[in-house]
Amino acid sequence: MKQANPQSNIGATVIWLILVVLTLTTWRIGEAGMVGKSTMLLLLFIAMIKSQIVANYFMALRHTRLIWRAIMFGYFVIVGGLIAFAYLISLA
Amino acid sequence: MKYTSQAVAKPYFIAAIALFLGQILFGLIMGLQYVVGDFLFPAIPFNVARMVHTNLLIVWLLFGFMGASYFLVPEESETELYCPKLAIITFWVFLAAGAMTVLGYLLVPYASLAKWTGNDLLNTMGREFLEQPLPTKVGIVLVALSWLFNIVMTVLKGRKTAISLVLSLGMLGLAVFFLFSFYNPVNLVKDKFYWWWVVHLWVEGVWELILGAMLAFVLIKVTGVDREVIEKWLYVIITMTLVTGIIGTGHHYYWIGTPAYWQWWGSIFSALEPIPFFMMTVFAFNMVNKRRREHPNKAAVLWALGTSVMAFLGAGLWGFLHTLAPVNYYAHGTQLTAAHGHLAFYGAYALVVLTMISYAMPILRGRAANPEKAQIMEMWSFWLMTISIFFITLFLTGAGIVQIWLQRISPTPMSFMAVQDQISIFYWAREGAGLVFLIGLLVYICSFFVKGDSRAIE
Amino acid sequence: MDAQSTHISLVEMSNYQLATGKKNLPGDFALWIFIFAEMLVFGVLFVAYAFTRAYHIELFNESQLTLSRTSGAINTLVLITSSYFVVRGVTAIKQGVSKQCAYWLTGAFLLGGIFISIKLVEFHAKYAADISMSTNAFYMFYLSLTFFHFMHVLMGMIILAFIIVKVRRGGYSAQDYVGVETGASFWHMVDFLWIILFPLVYIIR
Repeated sequence: MKQANPQSNIGATVIWLILVVLTLTTWRIGEAGMVGKSTMLLLLFIAMIKSQIVANYFMALRHTRLIWRAIMFGYFVIVGGLIAFAYLISLA
Repeated sequence: MKYTSQAVAKPYFIAAIALFLGQILFGLIMGLQYVVGDFLFPAIPFNVARMVHTNLLIVWLLFGFMGASYFLVPEESETELYCPKLAIITFWVFLAAGAMTVLGYLLVPYASLAKWTGNDLLNTMGREFLEQPLPTKVGIVLVALSWLFNIVMTVLKGRKTAISLVLSLGMLGLAVFFLFSFYNPVNLVKDKFYWWWVVHLWVEGVWELILGAMLAFVLIKVTGVDREVIEKWLYVIITMTLVTGIIGTGHHYYWIGTPAYWQWWGSIFSALEPIPFFMMTVFAFNMVNKRRREHPNKAAVLWALGTSVMAFLGAGLWGFLHTLAPVNYYAHGTQLTAAHGHLAFYGAYALVVLTMISYAMPILRGRAANPEKAQIMEMWSFWLMTISIFFITLFLTGAGIVQIWLQRISPTPMSFMAVQDQISIFYWAREGAGLVFLIGLLVYICSFFVKGDSRAIE
Repeated sequence: MDAQSTHISLVEMSNYQLATGKKNLPGDFALWIFIFAEMLVFGVLFVAYAFTRAYHIELFNESQLTLSRTSGAINTLVLITSSYFVVRGVTAIKQGVSKQCAYWLTGAFLLGGIFISIKLVEFHAKYAADISMSTNAFYMFYLSLTFFHFMHVLMGMIILAFIIVKVRRGGYSAQDYVGVETGASFWHMVDFLWIILFPLVYIIR
């Protein structure tokens, strides 16, 4: 049986580990009951970073044309920004 | 004509156009009744004119769909129609039932009609668009089943294509959802809830599959673009249509006693309903730009492109105008709804049937395309009808906005009838545009009788 | 415009895509139209959640505490891992190793099943507590968002199942793997939507 080249998978595995660590961080913050503006922004930032990582490395968008990367990045910025805005006005 | 059985489409198309003319005449009558209340009273009261106008619309579109599918499916399946005789019998049954129903509306008081046709047996009448007496409703089911049977058997014995699959699916949905017209619960909320399963899921659900399949068929024929490409687009468009259209039913559930979450579900999903229509426009223009052949039937190309644009404007844009719950709170049931209804039905369904007729009729009459003169007349009729319906829509939109303001937003709201007086100028303008529409339709009908050097069959 | 027009149409892009598989979006372009449309729906729902919350902060904070953050986090790990498996599957088929590709994708499919099971337990708990979409605005959003996402996981599993069957039959190769990439792209979308949904609905307050 042919074997896949193991070298090419190290990158994906590292990405997976980063995502796992970030998920556990989010979960710990939630369990610790942390609240407030900076916590909210941090959690949102982690979520958007994770999504961008999935899009870039798992979906392999980083090899594609600028327009597609821009659409994806813009989506995370706009959705994340609007959510942050809604939370900030509720804090004010 | 590749298959002799395709000829059964011809009577369907002729009946469709005749009933279309009837629909427009009754539209003009009731349009005038908006401003001259006692016009033709008591012979044709407003409610009867309205019933005939809307019912004829549905019936002629159904005739058009049936004729179009009897033409389209043999060609797609590369085989003769399963049973042409059944198609002809169905035609006469449907025509007779339709004529009797309209005569019943016109000659008999509605209450007596209900009594004589066994409405006590199964109470289904008296609801907007579903006014048909019980025997007519049963007739519609039988006709739809016979149509479905004939088409599906043809597809099964021949080549299976994405177009005939999508078309069959649309027809199946049409037949299934009509069954909800027999369900008339006493609870008014439930009644309305399921009433939309016929009305909405027809025009914003399964009919769009029929529309998509027909448009794709004509585009393959007139552009010569690869079937593979067109079919892929068809799949994407109809999937989007179903996802947005089915959950989008919720935009009818805002204020009728259904749970509040429908305001979110309805708003969000129906706001996306324009997307598949927009994709259809992009798709149609792309295909025509990439055409591999110059089809002699230029008129059919115009109708096809017109369908994609007007469907987007009428169904997509004008639907979006008042689909969000906070907007609909004010706009519900005003002339804005009428504006949307007119442009959407014309743009999406009247035009797609006329596209099919324009493509198929010359072939049924033994030529690839009509003589140049006839095609020019057809194009004139396209522009006359399209521009005038667009103006009807604009006038009704204006009427709707003024109505919303005076009746619902203004600090000193006026009563319904007082507002109707205020907006009569819009109704007069609408009636004028309606007359231009009639002229366009007459030009269209005349184009069938133009003689000239018809081009040879390819 | 004439037939020889050089302007780049959507269809040309999809053809280009089929021909090269590079520089453009991975997988069939038609599916990407879906992906963008789905992102739009979820985006609108996320933002609607956040703004509705701004008007009912107490209610949202209180109801949010009834959710199981741990099941949400486990489900996030499950989806992330399944996405990773899908990546490995795509890498395998690009190197022409169908058998490994099928293993990885089957793993991803099974993880999808675990996600579904955990979600069903959560739904059942809410159902048993008599909570429905009509209970309050928070539960309306929680149930709508997670149920709509749930349906997408099911859809993704169906797509994966079709691809697995085709891979096992040797239907894809190192030259022809657009189908695998298409399914993978959909699955990753389902993943990153949950990555946003989880902190938004379960954690951030």
